[in-house]
Amino acid sequence: MAGAPRKTLRTPRRAPRSDRPAHSARRVERRWAMLFATPYLAHLVLLTAWPVLALAYLGFTDYDTVSSPSWTGLDNYSRLLGDEAFWTSLLNTGYFALIFVPLQTVVALALAVALNQKLRFMPLLRGAYFVPVVSSWVVMAYVADAVFNPRLGSANAVLDWFGIDPLMWLDSPVLVIPTLALIAVWKGAGYMMVLFLAALQAIPQERYEAARVDGAGAWGRFRHITVPGVSGTTFLVLVLSTITTLQAFEQVFVMTGGGPGDASELTVLYMYRQGFEYFQMGYAAAIAWVLFAVILVLTLIQLRLQKRWVHYA
Amino acid sequence: MPIRSTTMPIRRAVRTRTAASALALTMALTATACGGDSGGAADGKTTITLGYYAEAGGPADGTMRKLVKEFEKANPTIRVKIESADYDKFHTRLRTQLAGRKAPDVWLSDGVLVQEFAGRGSLRDLSGYASELNADDYLGVDLIKKGDPKGRLYGFPQGAQSTALFYNKKLFKDAGVAEPTADWTYDDLLAAAKKLTKDTNGDGKPDVYGFRSYSPSFVESWWPMVEAFGGEVLGDDGKVAIDSPGSREAFDWMLKTMYEDKVAPDPVTTEALGKSQTLFPSSVVAMQFGIYARIQTANQGKVDFGVAPLPKGPDGQRGDLANINAWVINRAAPDARAEAAWKWIEFFSGEKPQTDWTAIGEAIPINKKVTQTPAFLSPETPPAERKVFLDSLADADDLGLNPVWSEYTTALAEAVTGALNKESSVPDALKTGQDEAQSAIDRFRPAG
Repeated sequence: MAGAPRKTLRTPRRAPRSDRPAHSARRVERRWAMLFATPYLAHLVLLTAWPVLALAYLGFTDYDTVSSPSWTGLDNYSRLLGDEAFWTSLLNTGYFALIFVPLQTVVALALAVALNQKLRFMPLLRGAYFVPVVSSWVVMAYVADAVFNPRLGSANAVLDWFGIDPLMWLDSPVLVIPTLALIAVWKGAGYMMVLFLAALQAIPQERYEAARVDGAGAWGRFRHITVPGVSGTTFLVLVLSTITTLQAFEQVFVMTGGGPGDASELTVLYMYRQGFEYFQMGYAAAIAWVLFAVILVLTLIQLRLQKRWVHYA
Repeated sequence: MPIRSTTMPIRRAVRTRTAASALALTMALTATACGGDSGGAADGKTTITLGYYAEAGGPADGTMRKLVKEFEKANPTIRVKIESADYDKFHTRLRTQLAGRKAPDVWLSDGVLVQEFAGRGSLRDLSGYASELNADDYLGVDLIKKGDPKGRLYGFPQGAQSTALFYNKKLFKDAGVAEPTADWTYDDLLAAAKKLTKDTNGDGKPDVYGFRSYSPSFVESWWPMVEAFGGEVLGDDGKVAIDSPGSREAFDWMLKTMYEDKVAPDPVTTEALGKSQTLFPSSVVAMQFGIYARIQTANQGKVDFGVAPLPKGPDGQRGDLANINAWVINRAAPDARAEAAWKWIEFFSGEKPQTDWTAIGEAIPINKKVTQTPAFLSPETPPAERKVFLDSLADADDLGLNPVWSEYTTALAEAVTGALNKESSVPDALKTGQDEAQSAIDRFRPAG
């Protein structure tokens, strides 16, 4: 017992000495970590956090981008409530999302299943479906015009073979949103297809073999093994597609400019006009916040609903 | 210990030096970014930034660059840095540049946007500079002044646009229809359009339409018609006044041409046929209302065409309209650069540059002397009757200019396009358009 207190007393003296190199190494490591993280942190603070804070403030101001912003309280938000053009743009966006999101998900999954074969030239085919993903919207607009031009496009040529009158596609107030959604699926499905391909390849083959032994047909295997097996990815695709749709801008900016009339005026395009064409950056900021709230609510709903149908196994 | 005691101060010193260097660099960058440049340079030259919109490599761009070189030669103490882009890109960039205090010192503004920039305090009042000139020697000065509530001159004319009736001589001859005259009324126009409309392939749809009634470029479509039928878009009191019997009559006339007599393509067909500005150059329509700049596109289509005054409405009014594109000077430009910018404007308004500019057929020259020369009156390309545009300009009203022009006219255009597409009735569209356009005007708060 007599030695114990001495040992106890000695321990704290020795401990720092023995920990010093490790402590010092951790400190150096922390410094390096901070150094490497600095670009990201600077990016986060300067290009994300600061603009978001500025946007929150601008939403309560009248700001024409030239003079200093002047505080107007909730004026921008109360104007939004009575702004029919804004609600029309939100409805157009919702309509666009209703067509685009399920269609893209189904097409991407179908493509992934079809291309998940060990055949010759398969990488080439997969690459071909991915080309639109990396093409700019300007290029896509030219290609889409070759298909959907009412006079010269191939879509109306096909209809003509079947004796159907030509359609106006992007020039028709009724057809413009479905046509835009089709084109967006064409551009976006390749990326989602890659996500589904990864998910398909993660499904253990034993499950298919067991099902085959049990007498399950192709549809049964797809319905009861593939669909639940990729449900996590399906959820991801649905969330990503919804957010992409609500933020859609380039496509309508390049292809229709929101027309004919206001038939394809989507919310981000409307926001762009207010800020950059009409010098109403405060009002545009308010629109951005409302859009953010809509995206947040929709994503939370999707997160809540996923528990009912997504299987992570 | 000795090693430590020497190492630490060195590290500290290095850190201190690094921090000091970073601070100095940051301050230098900040100072550079903040500007404060008076425009002077060590070589005694003043550098100005000149912005304009033109198709890259096109005739307007080429002529402008040539004129800039001539200007620099004539003014050896001024250096010009050019910033140009096509129309849409130029204006999108300009708005961002204004927000970032990086806009050019002098730029070419679409006439309808001058008040948008001026109303937000971005432009210099040029009245003082212009007092050195005789305003009577130039076209359009009065129309620019009219746009400002206090009659200030926020831009100096660069080129003028007015409206006329373009007609395809070959199609008129083929149909045996007499060419338009200055006495034509809207009834005469409709009667001729009926004779000119042809279904050549017998598919039940016209292949040649007599007239282009609708165009998204409303200065060449419903705006002059509203004025001709006794309506007005913006009243003298600055209030939107489109919801009137005269306007209803004008839109009913347009609907009749498109849906009843079928002598003009409706808006959807217009777009489907290849956008409104391609119809006349490709001889799909025999007549259109057009501004002076449409001469270029018609000539590109190798159309043999002429121009006549706009037809008269029921009370004899033609509804002539004009837009004066203008040079404007950035209010943020220091005095030295602003003065150099004004020298450029003076130079461009001179007889020689105006003659060169006239040669490309893009705008009516604003120098009155040049409008009386063969360069303008006896051109090598059609139409021969260029004086029609001068007469139209003399009678023309402006395009209801104010600081929210883009916004209020878009509100109007969207509403009336709905009526022209038959998605809404004309009275409803005019009421909605008027209310929304007026709201846009009422919301505006002037700078300062």
